[in-house]
Amino acid sequence: MTTGLSLTVEGLTVNYGGVSAVRDLSFEVPGGDAVGVIGANGAGKTSTLKAVMGLVPRRSGTLRLGDVDLSGVSARNMVRHGIGYVPEGRHVFTGLPVEKNLLLGAYARKWDAGTRATLAEVYDLFPVLGEMRHRLAGALSGGQQQMLAIGRALMSRPRLLLLDEPSMGLSPKLVGDILTVLQRLRSEGLTLLLVEQNAKLTFEATSSCLVVENGAVAMSGTSAELRNDPRVRQIYLGL
Amino acid sequence: MQVFLQTIVGGVSLGAVYALVALGFSLVYRTMGLVNFAHGNVVTVGAYLASTFYLSTKLPFALAMVVAIVVTGAIGLVIERVLRPLENKDFDLMLIGTIGFGIVLDALIIMIWGATGRAVPSPVQTAPIDLFGLRIRTYDLVVLAIAALATVLLVLFLSRTKRGAAMQAVAMDHEAATAVGIHVGRSNAIAFMIGAGLAALAGGLVGPLLYVSPALGGALGIKGFAAAILGGFGSIPGAILGGLAIGILDSFTAGHFQGYSELVTFLVFTVIIMVRPTGIFGERTVNRA
Amino acid sequence: MRTKLLVGAALAVVAWFLPYGLDSYAIHVVNVILIFAILAVGLGLVMGIAGQVNLSQVAFFGVGAYATAILTTHAGLGFWVSGLLAIAATVLIGIVIGTPALRVQSHYLGIVTLGLALAFTNWVTNAEVAGGAEGISGIPSPELPGVDLSSEYLYYYLELIVFAVALAFGLFVVRTALGRRMRAMRDDALAAGALGAEVPMLRMTAFMLASVYGGLAGVLYAGLIRYVAPESFNIANMFLLLAMVIIGGRQSLIGCVVGAISLALVREMLVDHPTIAQLAYGSVVVLVVVFAPTGLAGLPRRARAYLDHRRGARGTAAQLGAFQPYEPAASASGDELLAVQGVSKQFRGLKALDDVSLTVAAGEIRGIVGPNGSGKTTLFNVISGLYKPTRGRVVFRGTDMTGRAPYRLARAGMARTFQNLRLFGDLTVEENLLVALDRSRTLSAWRYLLRPLNVLRRDRALRRSATDVLHRYGLTQFASLAPKSLPYGIQRRVEIARAVAADPALLLLDEPAAGLNGEEVRQLAEIVRSIRDSGRTVIIIEHNMGLVMSLCEQITVLAGGRVIAEGTPSHVAGHPAVIEAYLGDTGEFEGATR
Repeated sequence: MTTGLSLTVEGLTVNYGGVSAVRDLSFEVPGGDAVGVIGANGAGKTSTLKAVMGLVPRRSGTLRLGDVDLSGVSARNMVRHGIGYVPEGRHVFTGLPVEKNLLLGAYARKWDAGTRATLAEVYDLFPVLGEMRHRLAGALSGGQQQMLAIGRALMSRPRLLLLDEPSMGLSPKLVGDILTVLQRLRSEGLTLLLVEQNAKLTFEATSSCLVVENGAVAMSGTSAELRNDPRVRQIYLGL
Repeated sequence: MQVFLQTIVGGVSLGAVYALVALGFSLVYRTMGLVNFAHGNVVTVGAYLASTFYLSTKLPFALAMVVAIVVTGAIGLVIERVLRPLENKDFDLMLIGTIGFGIVLDALIIMIWGATGRAVPSPVQTAPIDLFGLRIRTYDLVVLAIAALATVLLVLFLSRTKRGAAMQAVAMDHEAATAVGIHVGRSNAIAFMIGAGLAALAGGLVGPLLYVSPALGGALGIKGFAAAILGGFGSIPGAILGGLAIGILDSFTAGHFQGYSELVTFLVFTVIIMVRPTGIFGERTVNRA
Repeated sequence: MRTKLLVGAALAVVAWFLPYGLDSYAIHVVNVILIFAILAVGLGLVMGIAGQVNLSQVAFFGVGAYATAILTTHAGLGFWVSGLLAIAATVLIGIVIGTPALRVQSHYLGIVTLGLALAFTNWVTNAEVAGGAEGISGIPSPELPGVDLSSEYLYYYLELIVFAVALAFGLFVVRTALGRRMRAMRDDALAAGALGAEVPMLRMTAFMLASVYGGLAGVLYAGLIRYVAPESFNIANMFLLLAMVIIGGRQSLIGCVVGAISLALVREMLVDHPTIAQLAYGSVVVLVVVFAPTGLAGLPRRARAYLDHRRGARGTAAQLGAFQPYEPAASASGDELLAVQGVSKQFRGLKALDDVSLTVAAGEIRGIVGPNGSGKTTLFNVISGLYKPTRGRVVFRGTDMTGRAPYRLARAGMARTFQNLRLFGDLTVEENLLVALDRSRTLSAWRYLLRPLNVLRRDRALRRSATDVLHRYGLTQFASLAPKSLPYGIQRRVEIARAVAADPALLLLDEPAAGLNGEEVRQLAEIVRSIRDSGRTVIIIEHNMGLVMSLCEQITVLAGGRVIAEGTPSHVAGHPAVIEAYLGDTGEFEGATR
């Protein structure tokens, strides 16, 4: 994998049909580091990620990857600047075989020997995908589809990986597998921005976290601190 | 039995043409969720272009077809580009927009080629082949072969090329496709272009089978659409089987109901849609709240 | 209102004296135009108002004309009798052609109706009784004592009266309960069904209405031209008619008439160049759908919106009023109102619900919570009839309602809101409420023909109730606005008001607090409590845990499609399985929170 670049987001605001889903959010993900965004459902986590990716229009805000300003880059060109995106709910191309899904992850690159090498790396990371390479993605289990979604994003050789709720609907064992993968990617130097409802997973996988509520940062700190902070639990359970 | 088989043989070549029309419908529907109501008119344009170049400039039939396909492909691009603002927004309006294009194309056809039709001589002059007592016209075989070849090429394009895979990806999930860097609008435009090209191929091939007139595309369009639905909208094997089935049904109704064949074909088609809207190979869709 | 009446009166006077200024050819043209205008009103009703893509209108026209021709020439019946029978025949055909609409919509419906229209032309071209390609000539002109209707000048008055009545009736339908329900169905069939609109019946009614107009136009055409032939009813004319409706503005009957008249006039001017005319109106149709989807009728509003925008007018100054609590009713019995028994729902590979059981007592506020993708909305969809469960039963008020259509459940006393708001976008706030308040059956639409005054009286009563609801929810100032123009929080409130307006025993709220700010959430809690206190039962899906914890007596927690906990808020919040589902793992947090 390639070395990760830092992500700087400043003053991000997103409006969805009249609601402000994200309000003036600023944060930084240092290169090679992993940062988590946690919070209850509907807090604005997914909107944040989609806005970074350009999939929903940003009302305001700037964003930089390394030294490059990406504020004006369209969603489909983000990948060409080094951002890989794992959507919430996986969104694999269900009617295509696993390997085609992965190759499409490298759509922005030339399909050549380099792509083959990345494909081999992904199969190495997720051996089960290699075994099922000719199966239709729609026939995979939820956990396997999640692996595929991550693998597809890695195929573009991103410098920053955005992950939206990779644990959604998975059993604790599979959540553990996802954690292992995230830790491995991080150890290889990739920058990660992880949006999650599962706080446990996020604290394990990241070094620092933002807790968002109503589209704004309610708390932030290192994952170790937040892990022991009772207020996190309050925000989650509404006590 | 002999008559029965002969009827089937008689329907197969038109069925192959319907299948090509259905493929064009399906391809556009798969990628954009849109039924192109101007598709039938594009078939007519293709038929006129091919026959014009074939008859008047004495181009070889194959070359005339290529010219027709290129020109209609460009028409497809124009239609997609104009209606692009409505994509993923209002399907009923898009539908009416394609009807609008159909009206325009129909007018252009009459302005360029006149309201009367023309007969196109078969480009293959050999005598019919006799096979176990069945008479098979050689041109029918040519039509079948070209339709089969076009289908194979389309399948190869979709399954073997990067662009083809991207087109399918757009159809399945346009947001995820955007995220991996695919230009959704361009992909749709290419789908539209290929769809129009297939329509032109169908039109060019059907010229020597039927009389080429401005009214040609109307019936072909609806029957091609019926074929696409019968097979399950969006499915390639479905389009082929549906096309052949409608062709054979046509051939039977023509034999049994003479002038009323269209009536019977459309009634059968309506009943099929009522009984199974998703066609033979189609998937069930669910309502989402 | 007054200016509209004045304009109408002026137009009526002009129409009445119009023949005095026209030569015999011009009056013929006008007569044909009026027939197209009647056809366009019918097409506008089915397509623009009810949202049913109908490409068979020209076949209805043909059936009316041919039936008149056949009955007068072959059966020797008088014109008027034939005309009535012809309209009856057209309605029958309308029912046949409308039947596919019960199963398919949009594109599919378009192609089926187009196919059936072609089938009709195919039949008349071949049938001996219809005279084949030559058609039928020698249709007698209608006889009226003292009036010679074979004169096109006098025939004009017959047409004018029929047209005026037809248009007035159309407008009457559009502006009262039936039309409102059709427009609601057009904007969102799912939400309309969930409010009790019998969608299948409504679609058939729309096709029947369109066929009456088609038949009427056909009869008039037969009496005017006194000759029918297949080419008058071909697809080219269907598309011309469609263009009239689209260019004029399909959602406004007046627009349809304007479209019909202007397009027919343009075509008349280009009568020597029909293809140029066709090219022109085809292009205009394309331009209209892309740039002005509401057609000519929508132009004044667009112009006004544009001018307001230029002047920098800031939205509306309307203020949200305070919610007026309901009168508390005697506390509910506490009997079981809803029982979900062992419900599973499978989508292809995915098990969205797995053996879910729960019972809700009358008078309860029940919370349903769970992480994303845990099956909450699927459960609502099963309860409200949008999904049929793979296994299990839903018992509502002691009756097994499993798999019943949503409108049946709505009529049995269930109402719901939707996660992503499903307000009827092209209806005003008040009309949204009116749709819900109207509990009449669609079958009772016969009143429109036989007891129009009764319809009007009922409509006035409905409007009074709507005023009450608007006032109670503090929405009075938004009554005539389009929901889409309102802030999100107000739209949410409108949707709740609409659901309660349907007078349900059980109210299902799907994430009512999503997108609301703190104050709005507080108001929401107050509203929901008051709704319960008025004797209704509420089930609420919500992510805002603070709201759920403070509002609900009982909470059911779903995870992975199963019920993992149920009980009081404090019980649920302390339940290890819940903490695991929400936060990941219990072990890590225990030390921290104690």
